[in-house]
Amino acid sequence: MPTSYYLVLSFALFLIGTSGVLLRRNALIVLMGIELQLNGGNLALLAFSRQLGDQKGQVLAFLIIALAAAEAAVGLAILVGLFRGRQTVNLDEITLMKR
Amino acid sequence: MSAGGASIGDQVVFWILAAFITFFAIFTITRRNPVTAVMSLVATFFGLAGLYATMSAHFLAVLQVLVYAGAIMVLFIFVVMILNREEVAPLALRPLRVLGVLAAVYLFVKFVDVVAFDLPAGAPSPASDTFGTVAAVGDMLFRDFLYPFEAISVLLLVSIVGGVVISRSHQKEVNAERAAEYRKQIHEMASHDYPEADGASETAHGHGGGH
Repeated sequence: MPTSYYLVLSFALFLIGTSGVLLRRNALIVLMGIELQLNGGNLALLAFSRQLGDQKGQVLAFLIIALAAAEAAVGLAILVGLFRGRQTVNLDEITLMKR
Repeated sequence: MSAGGASIGDQVVFWILAAFITFFAIFTITRRNPVTAVMSLVATFFGLAGLYATMSAHFLAVLQVLVYAGAIMVLFIFVVMILNREEVAPLALRPLRVLGVLAAVYLFVKFVDVVAFDLPAGAPSPASDTFGTVAAVGDMLFRDFLYPFEAISVLLLVSIVGGVVISRSHQKEVNAERAAEYRKQIHEMASHDYPEADGASETAHGHGGGH
């Protein structure tokens, strides 16, 4: 398949992830939206890596997967810590830094 | 966009996987129940792993299943089980946020315009037989990307420590502080009411001092 097909799919994934991040109130779903965005970026990297015949894109995608693991660990830890204090993961009620 | 030199089988596999991925990605962000959302995210990642395998990125396909669909999603499931709360109003439809989504949609349309005309249409020929295998990618990872690789290991270590520090319970310390406070208060009250009982209470009848 031509590279442009993969790129359109990758950007569709990024768009869906962005909509999830912006429109949902549940912090868990927002984190899942971020994962979708990262995967869209990964797909674009792999598509270009295949187009150019260069494996550097695949190594970068590998590093991004490790980064996503770190991001998920810290993000979920923050959610658990917040939930201990305020019994909610609703982003509209978490206004600690708004005053 | 034309499908170029891709065979019918390739096209069928691509369209099935693309529809699968898009469907479950939309499913993920529209579900009210977080457990359903996590499960459809796992399905999305499996579809992506299949797509990677057709793009001669075998190593990344395996990693996608192992790390994403395996490890990260198990973490998500655990946290969802801990924080399971019913949502009252799942959507945050504020004007600025809706505007942001509209901007993203506009960007998507523009992007499709660009890639539909400015990229070579035909499928690229496979670079070599070993392209994307574990051996080839690992060789490049440990030769050209050794420092980023080590930096990623440091990042993972920091995120482990950070995760433990952020999410651990402070209840024990709070309880200990409270107990120390009570002990101090009781001690003060006792020494106020029974001043002679404080230090040396050698006399057997030394009671009833304070009142």
